[in-house]
Amino acid sequence: MAQLFPPSSNSIVKAAFAAGALVLCLAVWVAYRVERTTYFTKAGVACEQPVPFSHKHHVSGLGIDCRYCHVSAEDSSFAGLPPTRTCMTCHSQVWTQAQMLAAVRRSAETGQAIAWTRVDRLPDYVYFDHSIHVRKGVACQTCHGRVQRMPLTWRGYPFPFHMKDCLACHRHPERFPREDAELARLSRGFPPGERGHAAALAEHVRLLTDCYTCHR
Amino acid sequence: MSGQLHGGDSFRRFGRRLQGLTGREFWRSLDELAGSPEFLEALHREFPTHSGYWDAAFSRRDFLRLMGASLALGGLAACGKPAGRILPYAEDPEGMTQGAPLYFSTTLPRAGFARGAVVKSAMGRPVKVEGNPRHPASLGGTDVFMQADILGLYDPDRSQTVLEQGRISTWGAYRAALSRALEAEAAARGAGLRLLTGSVTSPFLGQAIAEVLRRYPQARWHRFEPVSRETVYAGHALAFGRRLDRRFDLSQADVVVGLDCDLFFEEPGSLVYARQFAGRRKPQERMLRAYAAEPSPTLFGSRADHRLPAAASLLPALAYSLARRCGLPVPAVDTPQSCEPWLSSAAADLRRCRGRGLLVAGSLQPPQVHALAAWLNEALGNAERAVIYLEPPEASDSAAPLSELVEEASQGRVQTLLVLDANPVYGLPAADAAAALGKIPFAAHLGLYQDETARLCRWHVPRAHALESWGDALAFDGTASLLQPLIAPLYNGRTDFEFLGPAIGRLDASHDELRRFWSGRGLSAQDAWDDALRRGVVAATAFPAQAPSARRERLEKLPPPEAAAAELEAVLRPDLRLWDGRYANSGWLQEFPDPVTRLTWDNAAWLAPSTARRLGVENEDVLEISAGGRAVQAPVWIVPGQAPGVVGLTMGGGRSAGGRVAHGSGYWGESLRPASEARLLGPVQARKTEASLRLAGVQGHQLMEGRPLVRFATLSHYRKDPLFAKGERPGPTETLYGPLPQGGYAWGMSIDLNACVACGACVVACFAENNSPVVGKEEVLREREMHWIRIDRYYAGSPDAPAILSQPVPCMHCEDAPCELVCPVGATVHSDEGLNEMVYNRCVGTRYCSNNCPYKVRRFNFFDFADRQEEAYKLMRNPDVSVRSRGVMEKCTYCVQRIQEARLAADKQNRLIGDGDIQTACQQACPAQAIVFGDKADPRSRVAKLKASPLDYGLLDDLGTRPRTTYLARVDDPNPSLPEGA
Repeated sequence: MAQLFPPSSNSIVKAAFAAGALVLCLAVWVAYRVERTTYFTKAGVACEQPVPFSHKHHVSGLGIDCRYCHVSAEDSSFAGLPPTRTCMTCHSQVWTQAQMLAAVRRSAETGQAIAWTRVDRLPDYVYFDHSIHVRKGVACQTCHGRVQRMPLTWRGYPFPFHMKDCLACHRHPERFPREDAELARLSRGFPPGERGHAAALAEHVRLLTDCYTCHR
Repeated sequence: MSGQLHGGDSFRRFGRRLQGLTGREFWRSLDELAGSPEFLEALHREFPTHSGYWDAAFSRRDFLRLMGASLALGGLAACGKPAGRILPYAEDPEGMTQGAPLYFSTTLPRAGFARGAVVKSAMGRPVKVEGNPRHPASLGGTDVFMQADILGLYDPDRSQTVLEQGRISTWGAYRAALSRALEAEAAARGAGLRLLTGSVTSPFLGQAIAEVLRRYPQARWHRFEPVSRETVYAGHALAFGRRLDRRFDLSQADVVVGLDCDLFFEEPGSLVYARQFAGRRKPQERMLRAYAAEPSPTLFGSRADHRLPAAASLLPALAYSLARRCGLPVPAVDTPQSCEPWLSSAAADLRRCRGRGLLVAGSLQPPQVHALAAWLNEALGNAERAVIYLEPPEASDSAAPLSELVEEASQGRVQTLLVLDANPVYGLPAADAAAALGKIPFAAHLGLYQDETARLCRWHVPRAHALESWGDALAFDGTASLLQPLIAPLYNGRTDFEFLGPAIGRLDASHDELRRFWSGRGLSAQDAWDDALRRGVVAATAFPAQAPSARRERLEKLPPPEAAAAELEAVLRPDLRLWDGRYANSGWLQEFPDPVTRLTWDNAAWLAPSTARRLGVENEDVLEISAGGRAVQAPVWIVPGQAPGVVGLTMGGGRSAGGRVAHGSGYWGESLRPASEARLLGPVQARKTEASLRLAGVQGHQLMEGRPLVRFATLSHYRKDPLFAKGERPGPTETLYGPLPQGGYAWGMSIDLNACVACGACVVACFAENNSPVVGKEEVLREREMHWIRIDRYYAGSPDAPAILSQPVPCMHCEDAPCELVCPVGATVHSDEGLNEMVYNRCVGTRYCSNNCPYKVRRFNFFDFADRQEEAYKLMRNPDVSVRSRGVMEKCTYCVQRIQEARLAADKQNRLIGDGDIQTACQQACPAQAIVFGDKADPRSRVAKLKASPLDYGLLDDLGTRPRTTYLARVDDPNPSLPEGA
């Protein structure tokens, strides 16, 4: 009886396996890339809010410091959202009749909270603390993007809050913009460039990349 | 106990045994002692009870169906995330930083007596109880009940609505009905009005009740407290002619003789006594010697240098004999010959330590024994030093007993009854309060649960939890402290005062009334009030010490005790996990292993090995115990050290209306209690039944194969060989790991076995801090309990009167950790600071780490044990710790969330973490300060100093794991003149 499969079958099967593996890898890669697109991360997409609050106007226009509203950013894990009372410090005097502030006035009258939509969110197994980042000289914009230019608020492009992005800084804090003095403090007081600075920084980095630093 | 047998040379002997010689020293259970085949088999099974679990017929079809369903449900779960909302305050509260916890002082009473607490509030939700270091009854320590109060607060089984005859009603309707009932009472000057409470120390509530009694002169106040101090007061009335309470100062005592007195559990000052005791058990300093004679092992007895198992009915005779030996003119009584060494040694020490000794009797003993103890303490000059007398802090001291209430009610003379948090239907069925309640037209009940008594009352009002209430309470020394609410009542609860309000015509909120009440008592200024709230104590309110003198002529005429004749007697004592049953619906406490029996979920009838043999029963056989025409069926647990001829019964089991968790756990020991409220049940009959009940004991779990784990010597041996605790074989020095990083912190822990009283506060505190799940009795039977710290208990010596040793075991955070080597996915890794870390998101659940852990401290989530559905529990959880899901290994993290908190605080101030900045949850809870955590690399730190002690040893350190958690070996101080075996 003749051979059922010609010798070339071997090659075809091998090629098919290789192609299958390639397709699988491609699928994984595509999934990985797609997952990081703004379509999924919602970076750069403004959220609908009960009040169309403009950071651009308040920060760039009026020069209000971030910490005027996000009061606990230096003291607590949570940066804090301003109570209605903070809005009313000005808006009881200016734009008192503006239609777009109706929700704020209603909240001040009734004592009911304004239900803001969350813009940035970390998974609950990440124990992020704002205060230590701010105290160590990390600017708000490093993670949140250029909020001072946002007429409405969105996730600061290009930052989708992946662990990789946290680690980029935790592994190489010196590469990220911050005041020199803060960097010196980070490395236990050795000013940059001095002997010992690199070693001290390396020790600090070991600590920063410890699992329990962010997860527990 | 025998000094010789398990003196310090036990380790040498252990070493020999490890080399193949025999000679068993320490044992954990009777099975182990006997070396039974079942035990050996269990020891050597790789997966103790897990295998065979899936042997049940499980067809391919079932498998496919389940998998299909999981896939479908998995798909549903993936349908998009709901948009999160942030709700800021409209008006932010003063002094609050969003996201940062706040701490409030308050008071958590047990059986009326205050223990100060500092409660952590995470954004308005109370999540953790700690002791208040400023409060005289806490000194910073807590017990299991204080820890479990958090779960009690959120308990979804708590009563949530006002009920009239079982139908939902309203608070307004109750008040209107009460007002109508009171109008009728007013005409009769309150002849039909009765109040029933537990022990009340609250001056505020006491005054409200006094006001009721003033308005209705014929009304009466009754008290029913299942574990009352009545015998103490009555005993002192005998001795001094005045009803007095007493407290102790163990720091002033060189010898303490306890007659069935659990100083570390039952006494209202238990936390303080544990602290004082631990302070006097340092072998480098002058040690306190403890004697205990008791029917069942207690926490105090387990720590005594000489423990005599003795029937409760024999103790009066022992007290007389002690008194006579100490020179008091009391009649001679017969005592068994077996008690002679203990008696002569205790009496000799009491005589030797005049003015620095103490004889204490437990509340289970009759007043006569308390009178004798008071007299003896006075004669030996111990009064006003180690024992201090004071007016009873209880406002309810003048209240009438329950029996009178029942009698009057059954005669139809009670029209209106207000029950404040008392449960006589469950606590004393012999009094037949159930029938009496049926004859009362208006009976109203205030309680946390719709319990047995509530169901028989016409009205039931949900009670506000202590963490939801304004109020006050007195501590064991009379110090007043305030209760302030941490949260608005979750389930519409009302405070005791609000419940009574209509009866005294005051309907203000408790806060305003309490403020007004204390204004008249030195807290009129706002500052003073704020200060009392902040500190958690009202300054300088401790009761002055009394100096009563014993009335010799009357004491000399006291009739001597009758000889104990009963072949079998029973005692009823508060359960070490559930107290009198009021904590029975707490899963944390149900699953907390009893420190003596190591049983969870059920209480058992404790029998001595010899008694069990005589009755022909074994562990888990059900015994029918009857006395005075009442009977109860209880499973047997053979307890080494239990007195022969005594059945040890505990309270708190067999609740019929205690909630879903309490339901079906344990037997109803209270049903044997006579109407006289005595807890010594006298002669009982016991009959073996055919039934048996599986008990979820954890004693055999996590065994470590008889290695020298708990190290222990007598004081004299320690003086000869201070390094006795060091292992004979040093661990190997070669390692598979690279060198350890130098510099930085090196976290370590030291656990002092001399201080530990095995109360278990650490176990429950760990549960509360780390969001540990409760698994239930079935899963405990499969060895799946989730405690990150356990308290192992060892015995040494004969099973009839063994020495009892306890050892808390958390993760050792080995420097060369065997678990880390075998994890295929790097889910358990080592930090530079020495923490053995568990990364939940990497864990795939191979359980190799647990198999390779010599200490057996890793716990696996076989199911999704955490209850994620119950809304109330979502509020309860510690926001700083992950809630673990199914398929994930977990273990002690050294409370890394607290380390991080301290690190961030220090970093922000650009300083190093100071010694004592970090307290782990177990350390903070420990009333005896047995656990110390800190930076072992800093030679000035407390933990480094303790680790430098000659008593320091590592568990299984010969394996080369280099554990970061080490122990201080226990040194006992038995009387050297006592012959062996006594």
